[in-house]
Amino acid sequence: MTDVMIEFRDVCKRYGTLVANDHLSLAIRKGELMTLLGPSGCGKTTALRCLTGYIRPDEGRIFIDGQDITGVPTHQRELGMVFQNFALFPHMTVQDNVGFPLMIRNLSKAERAQRVAQALRLVRLEDYESHYPRQLSGGQQQRVGLARALVYRPKVLLLDEPLSNLDAKLREEMRFEIKEVVTRLGITAVYVTHDQAEALALSDRVAIMNRGRLEQVGTPEEIYEHPQSRFVAEFIGLSNFLDGYVQAVDGDTMVVSVGGLQMRIPALAEAGPGQRVLLFLRPNEVELLRPDDPGGANVFDARVEKVTYLGDTLDYRLTFGQGLTLRVQSDAQRRLGQGAPVRLRFPRVRSWAMTSG
Amino acid sequence: MRLVRAYGRAMWDARLILAYTLLVSLSLFILAPFLMIALRSVGKGWFGRLWLPPQLTLDWYRWAVEVGNIPEVMKNTLIIGVIAVAVSTVIGIFAGWAFGRRQMPGKEVLMAIILLPRMIPPITYALGVAQIFYTLELVDTYLGVALAHVSVCAPYAILVLSATFEGLDERVLEAAGVCGANTVKRFFYVVLPLIMPGILASMIFSFTHSYNEFTLTLLTYGPHTVTLPVRTYLAVGDGYWEITSAMAMLMVVPSLLILAVIQRRAKPEKLVGGFKGV
Repeated sequence: MTDVMIEFRDVCKRYGTLVANDHLSLAIRKGELMTLLGPSGCGKTTALRCLTGYIRPDEGRIFIDGQDITGVPTHQRELGMVFQNFALFPHMTVQDNVGFPLMIRNLSKAERAQRVAQALRLVRLEDYESHYPRQLSGGQQQRVGLARALVYRPKVLLLDEPLSNLDAKLREEMRFEIKEVVTRLGITAVYVTHDQAEALALSDRVAIMNRGRLEQVGTPEEIYEHPQSRFVAEFIGLSNFLDGYVQAVDGDTMVVSVGGLQMRIPALAEAGPGQRVLLFLRPNEVELLRPDDPGGANVFDARVEKVTYLGDTLDYRLTFGQGLTLRVQSDAQRRLGQGAPVRLRFPRVRSWAMTSG
Repeated sequence: MRLVRAYGRAMWDARLILAYTLLVSLSLFILAPFLMIALRSVGKGWFGRLWLPPQLTLDWYRWAVEVGNIPEVMKNTLIIGVIAVAVSTVIGIFAGWAFGRRQMPGKEVLMAIILLPRMIPPITYALGVAQIFYTLELVDTYLGVALAHVSVCAPYAILVLSATFEGLDERVLEAAGVCGANTVKRFFYVVLPLIMPGILASMIFSFTHSYNEFTLTLLTYGPHTVTLPVRTYLAVGDGYWEITSAMAMLMVVPSLLILAVIQRRAKPEKLVGGFKGV
């Protein structure tokens, strides 16, 4: 376990009856960019603030580099942090903002100037040393924030929704910039966000949180391809869910009845006949065929209920079977009108067994 | 099309002219009493329906200083002002911190009580203050008059400073902490520079209110603690309009100096903007 940089061990934090962190246990490896992802109120920010020491957990311990820091005050934790609202010191120039952690550590003026220049070069803001934060754009301010967090070479970099206050285009640019800087320095980073696209693009691993608990931890591919719960599947990417029950099991496959239709899908180990199951389909895992296409396994007739034009793709709402609806996206090459018949094929259907009730 | 545009421009001009006319009239309306006093203080033999005084003189100022004892009175006013500012600012910092940074039960009620001296007729409040001060023998002392002034200065200080503390971004303090600053360093390097404009604004407000305060002074002053507004009022009673006007003009000088400082250093509307809901 020597390659673990940060460890949450059974951390609990309650606010009255609200449980913000419910026995949170998570290990973050050295040099890894770990994202805490979840909807607002899921406890990701509480977890981050337990890490900075701004919040004291009610139970559990937190380790950084093998050292128990649960009771260590914030200013002794040697962290770097980037804030959603930038949290720059408004009365200081860019140079003084970035130099602040060094001044606090009593570095000589010459060394300070050299390190500040170096940090500003890292975020490409060399020419803005004597500007005040209010004279900079949002993106520039956040780059100053990043430089300030990195200037004293902390063991850990924390990023609390750093891109949420920026406009969409800039957000995407900054995403890669942050990723590049973090990778170049090989620093361990914890990134908090509610934006799943951001999480997938940036992270080495993603920890998805819901109501104070960890839902799933894994690489972006694992999370997207193999969500372990409906919550994760819903939160990451677009998903369709269909309710059904198992009619028969035949070796590796089982037949599931969904809205009066029969689908053959890979069998679940724990599911026997009569078991209720939840089927899960990504919008790109549905093939749209011509209405006269020959049938086969898992091919069904459907009708276009609604088309939404999204530029490079078309978003269809389809109805089929008895009251089943699906959301599918396809490229804009072949355009189906509203009410048009279409044939669907499901090459891959995943499912979870549901507890009865 | 061109006609429409020309018409639009004419309407715009008309509106602009109207706006200027109104604003200039209002300014004149506000300035008229000043002009009156200024002319009266340097005019000699200005009676009847003359538009302007026939002769100019500075005699009235000499009289004001020598007979009216203005330097002594000015000294009293300033000493009382300084004490009132010091006490109000200290109160304002602590109370403002509590109001601005803490969630506490009964906040609204407490705030209402603190604002009470400003809201009820000053004479009512001053009567109560006077009776208490006679019992405590605080009447005709610098401290006594200054304390009476604090009752109106402190609410302003508290309002300005609670808005200042409320505006202090928690995240900026957190950032300073993460950067390695302990509580003391956080205070001196981050909190203090950020609240300094608020403290200055609060001090200026407190001082002007103490300096201008009349009713509370009238009921707590004595021979040793005559302040400028009271001295001027007494002179009115003596019936010498020219000397009174000269006193009033002298009294305005520090106020104008302060206004000039505010105008140059900070935008006055920004200072007033520090208030919320006054």
